[in-house]
Amino acid sequence: MPADQCPACAAQVNPADLFCEACGHRLADPVADPSGPPATTGRWVSSAGAPLTCAGCGGATFGPEGYCDGCGRRRASAKDRSELELGNLAAVTDKGHRHHRNEDAVGLGLLRSVAAAVVCDGVSSSTRPDDASNGAVAAALAALMPALDGRTPADEAIGAAARAAQAAAILAAGPEPGTNPPASTFVCAVVEPQAVTVGWVGDSRAYWLPHAGAEPACLTVDDSVAGQFAARGLPVPPDISQDRAAALVRWLGADATDTTPHMRRFAPAGPGRVLVCSDGLFRYRSGAAELAASTPSDTPLATARALTQLALDAGGQDNIAVAVLTYPPDTREPPRSQNE
Amino acid sequence: MSERSAAAMSEQAAFQAEVFQNEYLPADSTVVDAVVTVTSSGAGAAATTAPATAQVIMIDCSGSMADPATKLPEAKRATAAAVDALRDGVAFAVVAGRGHAVMVYPATTALVAASASTKANAKNAVARLTASGGTAMGQWLLLANSLFSGSTASVKHGILLTDGRNQHETPEQLAAVLRECDGRFVCDSRGVGEDWSGTELRTIASALLGTADGLADPAELADDFRTMTEAAMGKSYAEISLRLWTPAGSNIRFVKQAFPHVEALTGRRREISARIGDYPLGPWGAESRDYHVSVQVPAGAVGDEILAARVSLVSGDQVLSQGLVRAIWTDDTALSTRINPRVAHYTGQAELADVIQEGLAAREAGDVETATSKLGRAVQLAEETGHTDTAKLLARVVDVVDARTGTVRLKQKVAGVDAELANVRSVKTIRVKST
Repeated sequence: MPADQCPACAAQVNPADLFCEACGHRLADPVADPSGPPATTGRWVSSAGAPLTCAGCGGATFGPEGYCDGCGRRRASAKDRSELELGNLAAVTDKGHRHHRNEDAVGLGLLRSVAAAVVCDGVSSSTRPDDASNGAVAAALAALMPALDGRTPADEAIGAAARAAQAAAILAAGPEPGTNPPASTFVCAVVEPQAVTVGWVGDSRAYWLPHAGAEPACLTVDDSVAGQFAARGLPVPPDISQDRAAALVRWLGADATDTTPHMRRFAPAGPGRVLVCSDGLFRYRSGAAELAASTPSDTPLATARALTQLALDAGGQDNIAVAVLTYPPDTREPPRSQNE
Repeated sequence: MSERSAAAMSEQAAFQAEVFQNEYLPADSTVVDAVVTVTSSGAGAAATTAPATAQVIMIDCSGSMADPATKLPEAKRATAAAVDALRDGVAFAVVAGRGHAVMVYPATTALVAASASTKANAKNAVARLTASGGTAMGQWLLLANSLFSGSTASVKHGILLTDGRNQHETPEQLAAVLRECDGRFVCDSRGVGEDWSGTELRTIASALLGTADGLADPAELADDFRTMTEAAMGKSYAEISLRLWTPAGSNIRFVKQAFPHVEALTGRRREISARIGDYPLGPWGAESRDYHVSVQVPAGAVGDEILAARVSLVSGDQVLSQGLVRAIWTDDTALSTRINPRVAHYTGQAELADVIQEGLAAREAGDVETATSKLGRAVQLAEETGHTDTAKLLARVVDVVDARTGTVRLKQKVAGVDAELANVRSVKTIRVKST
């Protein structure tokens, strides 16, 4: 273990530090016996977190209920754009050109040799969807990472993450949910040395983009009317309108009844990348092959930025969120250029 | 959604504020309406110490009080009932109102503490009153004001009883006195007999944060005086204000009390800061009142949400309860076209009060066409809002052909007091059933 790495969670640390900033491990202490309880719950980052200034007037004071003291505008649950980097994982989310705020949320998690990403897309027709999506991402990671203890199967950990995300989405509705409470999609990918596991509720997606040669694939099946027809290899019948076809059939929220994630696990034949994204990106490159063709072979952060820019240049009709994970998971810190 | 009940309990759990509104606005809309229901159990301050009370009774002793012969005796009986109801220690005085005001009890211009002996002496002095002279209510209020000015009581309550119009001073003189007395004491006004003016009673009560009513039968006075006195002594907060925060760039269209009676508050704003203003409401006991707030906010984009108003009840700087009025812009017309029943109810009742007053004024001015149309609309609104007491009063002024369509004919002969009763009670509202 190098001196600048936490022995418990592998995070980069300053050799002068007594404790790891990421997991709180006392750096001088030995890591517990691997057969015993886990010494750490890993670390994670997310785009959730209210901006410091009001998007309406630039004011910096907010009342206890989260409204700007000046113009009264509700404080958003997250910034309009976030770029995240954690080890060799990266993600970008952007509000796009047409929406007034970013209702997509994304998070990254890292624990030893396991990498994870969560994307939640707030359902824009619901009340305060950004509260649901940001709350869901934060809660999902907090539940997911401790569950990835090396003994719990990834699908069970994703199940726990989805339950925590659903609880957060319900909480976002407050004591009186009304008829249209906050709602969000959920997709979580866990990349382990031998397998990739994906769980989802709604129409946010995960793609497998293998390095040269192999066939790219969409790992998820949208929980939408169109998605259900596509999963059976059928076209959407002409009497179903576009709006109806795109409508979600499952989501997270106080009014959701079926929130158990669909699950898919597979063992890639070779190295590649996992993309986890919202429809703000894949509406412009829906097929796995066309998305793969548009994805540069760059560092995860540069790749996430490029894909976000692709969606913005194509019109940016919706909020965009995209996370990039490498397979097999590379949990070392990425090399940093002089300019970074 | 439509009926948002954001209940907020105060520290003492004495006050509760509930907000009723449809917070969803269509894209081009900027007006936010909400009704805030404030209920006090009266438990808060009463648990510590009830505020000290002072009361001045102004009893009309003008010449007309002699006719009919029961009027003055009933007024004396009512004053005695109010005096009997006083708790020991409450500072009080009785004033006789004519063209000038004179002390009845005590003889000097001062308040005295209620006790068995002062109450007995007061009732003896009241019993000797005779009817003679004119009516200048501003003079009566000025004397009450000077009596209260020497008192340290925090709840200062006046009862003004008249049987006639304010003949011996101009409306401007009365208005000047009311400005002078504003914030110094609270005053309930009552009319007895057949010759008082509903407008004058409402003007006095409205300026001095009290209630106005007319009593056709003098025998009802004693109960009413006792009730008013007990209510004044039952206040647990001496001075409550409605505090309104509104966002930058907004315009307060109006603030009004909607229940138990309509009372415009917009002009009473005391600026606390650029965003915050206080509207004095007077003393509070165990009671429940509704306030209708209408704010114009800067236009928002679909999906935007702002706080359009924060409505608090404050005693000094202590916030007793608070409710939030929100605006959320949506392109979902199913949401934005919803009408909150409570807001609609009070909008209808405020219109009811307006058309009654306008209709009666037109009737008095001989404008039959306007009077018929306004009072017809009043009958229709009273029917729609289930305002049966008002409907009965209106039926004494007009012949109702069809209440549903508001078709009426003005009655040829109307007892003067019926029109004044309809006037003075036009501002009284009823509550929509909770949903």
